[in-house]
Amino acid sequence: MNQNRVDEYRRNFMTTLGGVAAVAAVVPSFVLQTAHAAGEVAAKPVDQAVTNAKRWGMLIDVTKLTDGGAGMVAACKKEHGWGDEAHSADTQKAHWARVVKVTDKLTQNSFSLPVMCQHCENPPCVDVCPTGASMKRADGIVQVNKHICIGCRYCMMACPYKARSFVHEALQDQKPHSPRGMGTVESCNMCVHRIDAGKLPACVEAAPDAVIFGDLNDPNSAVSQAMKTIGGKQIRADLGLNTGVRYHGI
Amino acid sequence: MASQAIIFRETKDSKGFYILLAVLGAFLALGALAFFHAEHHGHHVTGMTNQVVWGLPHVFAIGLIVAASGALNVGSIGTVFGKKIYQPMGRLSALLAISLLVGGLIVLVLDLGHPDRLIVAMTTYNFKSIFAWNIILYNGFLALSAVYIWTMMDRKVKKFYKLAGVAAFTWRLILTTGTGSIFGFLVARDFYNSAVMAPLFIVMSFAMGLAVFILVLHFAYTWTGRPLGDVVMNRLRYLLAVFIGGVLLLEGARHFTGLYIAQKAGVENFILFDGGIYTQLFWVGQIMLGSLLPLSLIFCRKLANNRVALLLAALFTIVGGFAQLYVILIGGQAYPLVLFPGAEVSSDFFDGVINAYEPSIWELMLGLGGVALTLFMVTIGVKVLRFLPDSLSDAVADPHSK
Amino acid sequence: MTSKFSSVFLAATLAFATLLAGCSKAPTEADLNLATAKAKADQCVEPESVIRTKHMDLLMHQRDATMIEGIRTKQHSLKECINCHVSTTKQDGTPLHYGDKEHFCTTCHAAVGQKIDCFQCHADRPQTDDPNYQHTVGSTAGHHFTQGVTAAAAPTAAEVQMVTQPQQGAAK
Repeated sequence: MNQNRVDEYRRNFMTTLGGVAAVAAVVPSFVLQTAHAAGEVAAKPVDQAVTNAKRWGMLIDVTKLTDGGAGMVAACKKEHGWGDEAHSADTQKAHWARVVKVTDKLTQNSFSLPVMCQHCENPPCVDVCPTGASMKRADGIVQVNKHICIGCRYCMMACPYKARSFVHEALQDQKPHSPRGMGTVESCNMCVHRIDAGKLPACVEAAPDAVIFGDLNDPNSAVSQAMKTIGGKQIRADLGLNTGVRYHGI
Repeated sequence: MASQAIIFRETKDSKGFYILLAVLGAFLALGALAFFHAEHHGHHVTGMTNQVVWGLPHVFAIGLIVAASGALNVGSIGTVFGKKIYQPMGRLSALLAISLLVGGLIVLVLDLGHPDRLIVAMTTYNFKSIFAWNIILYNGFLALSAVYIWTMMDRKVKKFYKLAGVAAFTWRLILTTGTGSIFGFLVARDFYNSAVMAPLFIVMSFAMGLAVFILVLHFAYTWTGRPLGDVVMNRLRYLLAVFIGGVLLLEGARHFTGLYIAQKAGVENFILFDGGIYTQLFWVGQIMLGSLLPLSLIFCRKLANNRVALLLAALFTIVGGFAQLYVILIGGQAYPLVLFPGAEVSSDFFDGVINAYEPSIWELMLGLGGVALTLFMVTIGVKVLRFLPDSLSDAVADPHSK
Repeated sequence: MTSKFSSVFLAATLAFATLLAGCSKAPTEADLNLATAKAKADQCVEPESVIRTKHMDLLMHQRDATMIEGIRTKQHSLKECINCHVSTTKQDGTPLHYGDKEHFCTTCHAAVGQKIDCFQCHADRPQTDDPNYQHTVGSTAGHHFTQGVTAAAAPTAAEVQMVTQPQQGAAK
């Protein structure tokens, strides 16, 4: 047996250990799901394709967000580096997520919530994209494959949530884990790079008491259990898009 | 009077031809400049934003594309419906259709965020997307129109003339249905999501395409000193009136439906009553200047056989068509998306506010470049191939008219 | 066809074609600044000859696998190419970007006139806040080959013990 092979085993073994550690770390959130732990992501082997066995989603409890979600938005901005386009006007700057204040016209009841890509089961942006750049991954994550995005912006016309932005200028020094560039459309991708590494999305991590993240297909996951108990409303439920981002308290 | 044969001939070499090419060339150069400017710096140099994502270039592009399918109608009336008086104009009709479509597509393509990836758009299709279908429809339209011209120009394939004409006519109806459905399929926006968009775009294409054809026909004949009689022009004149009436009918149906459905009432009230520039463009641009004025010019008895009145009617029909497209495209996007019906919303990303849009000079230059390309292609076309009959005087066009 | 116009048209087309033809000239090895590339050639994820001729195919394959299927193996990852081959700054301390002649990718691509748009979106240099960004290829901290891959044959108990004994402190 040569040294390379030993190295290989060593690495494999450590990965397995890492996986065990990750599972151990999430066990409390199974037990204490009523305590609104932020949820769980099981690490996926890097060489295996995602499947539709899982569907990632989150429940945002608006009543527990003291800042209306501003902290979540800030975490997203830090993670992906959007919004600081120097040449673009304010109306042209990217916004992957924003805090929307809602006031009912009749009752004057008011609340704030973070709005980003809702990761629909039937996403209009995916239907309209001519090249298939706007795509839904097998595990329910809706994202833009910028390699084949031609920048036609039809998806932005189609999205009911205004979740998408067009990059209006050349960029440099992007985050290595979050490529984004001129002439393509972009949006929240649920921090797909973190999920694939077994980590929670940045916004979920920023608001662990108000957001539960997890597998919507698994009836026993913390997020499914929480939704079963307190419900999970959709924005524009009338459109029948079956969103993966759900809210409590709207 | 004995009937005279229709003889097709290329236009003659003249100073005017080169002057026209030079003028169009200048606009083409400006369009190219605008493209390279936006391509190099990114779309932040345009007036388009993350709220109004489609701007003036799209108004030009869709206007030209819509007019393209309409311009083919003149030929189709001759071929498909057997009206002999229209048949000599079939070649020009198809040439104009191809040129308008290419002019519109070039604007659409050059405004993409990644025009360099056109090959991706041509090879990677998402068949659920009406946009992808449109790419196929556009290419097919170009091919069918070319074949149609071929059957008109080459005696050897004359037997396919009727077949090619019917195929092109059918295809163009599907094409405009597709163009209208680009908007009709947008579930998110209350101003768009309606099946009426498809027939509306078809009847718009009838009107705009014919108006463009009338102008091109007139100037092609007067600038080359060829006779063009009132028989032909009066046929086109009353046809134009019918098409304008058709647009008004479907626009009326669309807006009344919108006002009736509570969900759409907000955006309808915005466009029709308090939308500022969009309301003005609708009432003054589209309805008064673009519809009622051309109708009066056409039907005013004192202006019967008056060529200038017809040309003005055609011009204002085009103006009205562009005003209509501007209201549909920009006005529809200016009105904010409704996230929470019945509630006021606000954010730092322009939720709940009317979105501003001010087209930049670059967008105008790009759009005019597309128009220039269309006219450039027509000018070269009639020069190098036999598109235009030598004469369309009353005696030639309709021997039984007198 | 009128002769005057067609001759003008033909002449213009010919002139343009000549202009285009004059632009192509195959570069020789002397034109390329391959010093940075050669420095790490023997440690690369593939033999030099494979990398030279196939890197675009490897990257293209990896790009679709990662984007669409979420496969994030590191052997053919563009990010890892950058981590290993590109330094964050030039000699004078200013940021090094694609397009600068010292940039690993530019050295060849500029000379062969091959335009790429990878770096319109992707970071063209390693993230600077990680001091160990330029890892040693094949090291335990490394990103290459089979880390995290499940498909490899399972080690025997003896082998595991041999491998893990000296590493226990590091494992977590």
